Amino acid sequence: MLSFIARRLLSGVITIWFIATATFFAMHAVPGDPLTQEKAMSPAVRAQLEARYGLDKPLFEQYRLFMSNMLHGDFGISFTQENRRVNDIISKHFPISATLGIAAVLIALVGGVAAGSVAAYCRNRWPDRLVMVAVIAAISVPGFVIAGLAQLVIVAMNNAAGKTLLPVAGWGSVSQIWVPALVLGLGTMAYLSRIMRASMLEVLSADYNIAAKAKGVHGWRLFWHHQLRNAVLPVVTELGPTIAAITTGGFVVELIFAIPGLGRYFVQAVQQLDYTVIMGTTVFYGAFLVLVVVLVDISYGLIDPRIRLHRGRA
Amino acid sequence: MSLLKLTSLQVSIGPVKAVRDVSLNLEAGECRALVGESGCGKSVTAMTLLGLMPNAAKISAEEWWFAGRDMTQIKEREWRQLQGNQIAMIFQNPMTALDPTQTIGAQIAEPLRIHKGLSRREAKMRAIALLERLAIANPAQRAEQYPFEFSGGMLQRAMIAMAVVCEPELLIADEPTTALDVTVQAEVLSLLQEMRESSGTAMLFITHDLGVVAEIADSVSVMYAGQTVESGSLHDVFSREAHPYTQALKRAVPSLENPKPLEAIAGTPPDLRQPPSGCGFAARCSKRMAICEESPPLMSCGEDHLARCWLWHKDHPERWREAEAVSLLGGKS
Amino acid sequence: MAISVFRFAPKTWGAADDLEAVAPIPLPSMANPTVILSGLMVIFLLLFVTVGPSLWRQSPSQQWLSQISEGASRARSVRIVSDNGAWRPSKKADAPSGLKVHAANTEYVRLQWPKLAGIERYRVYRGDANKPGLGLAISETADSYYQDRLQLSSEVYRYTIADADTGLLLLSREVRPEAAMSVFEAQLQGLIPVTNNKTQWVEIPGHPLGTDALGRDILARLMAGGRTSLFVGVVAPLLFITFGCIFGAIAGLMGGWVDQLAMRFVDFVVALPFLLFMILFRVAFGIGPGENGIMPLIVAMLVLSWPGSARLIRGQVLALRSQPFVEASRIAGVSTSRIILRHMLPNVLPMILVAFSFAIPQAIFTEAFLSFIGMGVSPPTTSWGALCNEGIKTLLSHPRQLILPAIFISLSVLAFNILGDALRDATDRRSGVVRA
Repeated sequence: MLSFIARRLLSGVITIWFIATATFFAMHAVPGDPLTQEKAMSPAVRAQLEARYGLDKPLFEQYRLFMSNMLHGDFGISFTQENRRVNDIISKHFPISATLGIAAVLIALVGGVAAGSVAAYCRNRWPDRLVMVAVIAAISVPGFVIAGLAQLVIVAMNNAAGKTLLPVAGWGSVSQIWVPALVLGLGTMAYLSRIMRASMLEVLSADYNIAAKAKGVHGWRLFWHHQLRNAVLPVVTELGPTIAAITTGGFVVELIFAIPGLGRYFVQAVQQLDYTVIMGTTVFYGAFLVLVVVLVDISYGLIDPRIRLHRGRA
Repeated sequence: MSLLKLTSLQVSIGPVKAVRDVSLNLEAGECRALVGESGCGKSVTAMTLLGLMPNAAKISAEEWWFAGRDMTQIKEREWRQLQGNQIAMIFQNPMTALDPTQTIGAQIAEPLRIHKGLSRREAKMRAIALLERLAIANPAQRAEQYPFEFSGGMLQRAMIAMAVVCEPELLIADEPTTALDVTVQAEVLSLLQEMRESSGTAMLFITHDLGVVAEIADSVSVMYAGQTVESGSLHDVFSREAHPYTQALKRAVPSLENPKPLEAIAGTPPDLRQPPSGCGFAARCSKRMAICEESPPLMSCGEDHLARCWLWHKDHPERWREAEAVSLLGGKS
Repeated sequence: MAISVFRFAPKTWGAADDLEAVAPIPLPSMANPTVILSGLMVIFLLLFVTVGPSLWRQSPSQQWLSQISEGASRARSVRIVSDNGAWRPSKKADAPSGLKVHAANTEYVRLQWPKLAGIERYRVYRGDANKPGLGLAISETADSYYQDRLQLSSEVYRYTIADADTGLLLLSREVRPEAAMSVFEAQLQGLIPVTNNKTQWVEIPGHPLGTDALGRDILARLMAGGRTSLFVGVVAPLLFITFGCIFGAIAGLMGGWVDQLAMRFVDFVVALPFLLFMILFRVAFGIGPGENGIMPLIVAMLVLSWPGSARLIRGQVLALRSQPFVEASRIAGVSTSRIILRHMLPNVLPMILVAFSFAIPQAIFTEAFLSFIGMGVSPPTTSWGALCNEGIKTLLSHPRQLILPAIFISLSVLAFNILGDALRDATDRRSGVVRA
């Protein structure tokens, strides 16, 4: 097991290095020099940046500097917001995105597992049909449209009630977390419930399920000890892509709901071509997502004894 | 009073009348084999006896008594107390019938936790002790392992342990050796026999392997197309087979002592979505009579020996002749 | 007693014994009504973006200043009015006895009312005549006249004059402005010659789906946008699947260290966070003046999306290579190229088709996402995603502008997904396909 974790971590580190390198060269492929874009920039910032990245130096030297800065956790200074260090932007706004993302992942996971289980239990009856139709709808509608429609519905509800039942945008209160989190998690929830339904159907017809019933195991104990643990495995393998989807989906949801998360800053930086922020957040997000995938792989091993023990002994 | 008395059980699942007329009688401690080809309703009978049929299935029986309880009146809650406790089951394929995500020990201990209210530790100790009795080396260590770490024979032993751990009164074994290697089969069978004898458990042994039946059973019921067509002691059914189906089966069995060409049974079993109104075997029977258009009831053809065939009706010419011969001889045959 | 060991020949003639086994889910056949509907939907969408613009000849970039964010409208004739800016009633005119309407058209509504003693300032309200309440307070004035030029449309308004200090309601009147267009705009749109400003009436086209926030015809924009979205959605998968297939096939056929190296490379590309790198590449490519941004989008998708099909094809090729019929052909001396063409291609082609049909909705989604955050196509080129981006700005007042393009995105994604499902089920049942 330890060697398995070590191998996964190593490949994760190499991938992060690859991402950082790709980011560096992608930014250097930008037509012209990133600093000579039409963006207004004070001479002070410019001088600092040139010094920091040694833009007059040869490419390899710049790359070496970039990598060593990244290794020291120094992502530079924003082009457009003077005197704001990218590190500060990340450390200030990422916790907000993380809160939103974790809430969305939890909602997607719990909702997907529950909806998928209910659909499988009520196979071909109306709850199943309802879930499947909702799943198809949620998969076909882009996240930003769901977010927009959710805002419309909230506004209509507030108007009808004559008071603010739910906030339309902003950040801070509990409902300002769960409403956008629900919107963000909806597509993923649909995707997961489709997987969960299929795997639960398989479990329900499995011999060990009947054998457990024959032992007198019923109700919650049967669901919890025998059905859920087996049926949830395919869902766990999807957790990595799920978190990636929710992270990138967070960009637009934060934008639409005016949430001061890192995703919104990233999109704004992209729109304003704020190169240092783009580079810093891309490497940061890339490293984050790679780590998540590695962690999910490892946790999958912990849940499924077959993988845990086999890989451990291999 | 017998442990299980089942008269005229009928089960239909949607359009399929999987079980049309099954009668079984089991005494405490008896081992009865339920024999028949695939699809004749053996497994449905077993599942019904365990209360594991899906709600969509329609079940009815004239009489159904188990351990002094009228099972036709039983509630869902009472079923749950019976399952795994007084009636237990050994499944055909141990590779798929054990939960892959739970340790063997936990799975064996589970019925004890549910039915006997034992603590986790106590239940585990009992499970380990049972594994030891079933001749599994290092039982304490083995109990912590997962099904994928066990071989087929070991898994079936774990399965047996799971079934007998609450010392049930009735053990249903659904082809417990079919999925195993031939070398392991005998071992598992003898263990099963040993467990059964030591605890005095009655067993309903479902199989299509006549050799196994001869080894383990006290009495035999033969099923065909959803009906019990013959039942009696092992000796009665195997050497004085009364039903033409049983007779045809015997002719299809190779024998070392009496090498004859094997005779396959012509035709195919009836479609249980539209079962015939008369005798189910009539279409393939060499002794078919006009009356076989009507469905025969179970008829006595010896002491505790029943056959569902008009040949054994008291009005059949042969029965008459027999009766005459008996009266001529003046008494017992 | 001699009983020989024997088993019945196992027969499976009925499903009665496996009753707990779930009956196989009926696979949607290619002739399933849902599938047919999806196929028709795809054909409709393709016709909509190709033939559509020649049937509906409005320019998607023509801005009607007089028709900002309007609802559905028909072709109609409008009055040309000269737009003189400020207005005051002529001195000669008598002070009206009530609320007098000097002119009412969609360019301006001119009101005059009698000066009332003791009132210093008047407040003018404008509201929808069909709804209760005063509506919007549009002006406060000390004069006894007012010209309303605030986003008028051809519906019935109720104007109310009130005392600004006390709020006392003085006069009220319902007004229905006539459809009109300023001379300036009519000249701009080329409806009347620049020299001629005597024309009184002019015909203007209708907008079946209304106009957007810049007064552009939404139907025409949906057609133009769909062309981009479907072009990217079909061409990008075509390119990256072709590239991935060639890459995977070479790796699979060469085997050995080439294969190992190629697959390690694939692993790295797969590990890259997709949308993040789409954005990054899009920024890196930049958009020069006059470019529409479609090519960078397709190239970025090509660079990031090919590994999936490369893995698929490599696995298939490896599996097929060890198949008896391929080995037999090789032993028989059939040339490699012939083996590839005659034996491998027919076996992998269905899988490529399935991968392709699932890649299309994915690509449409990606394009929509990027265009939505402003990193997709650049104006004046538009796409459904870009239309959504514009629509979300007027979401609360005119939700139609977001919902219409969203419906097109969703319908196309849904239709392609259903077709992909059906195609996959159809190929899965083909016995020839080798499972990797």
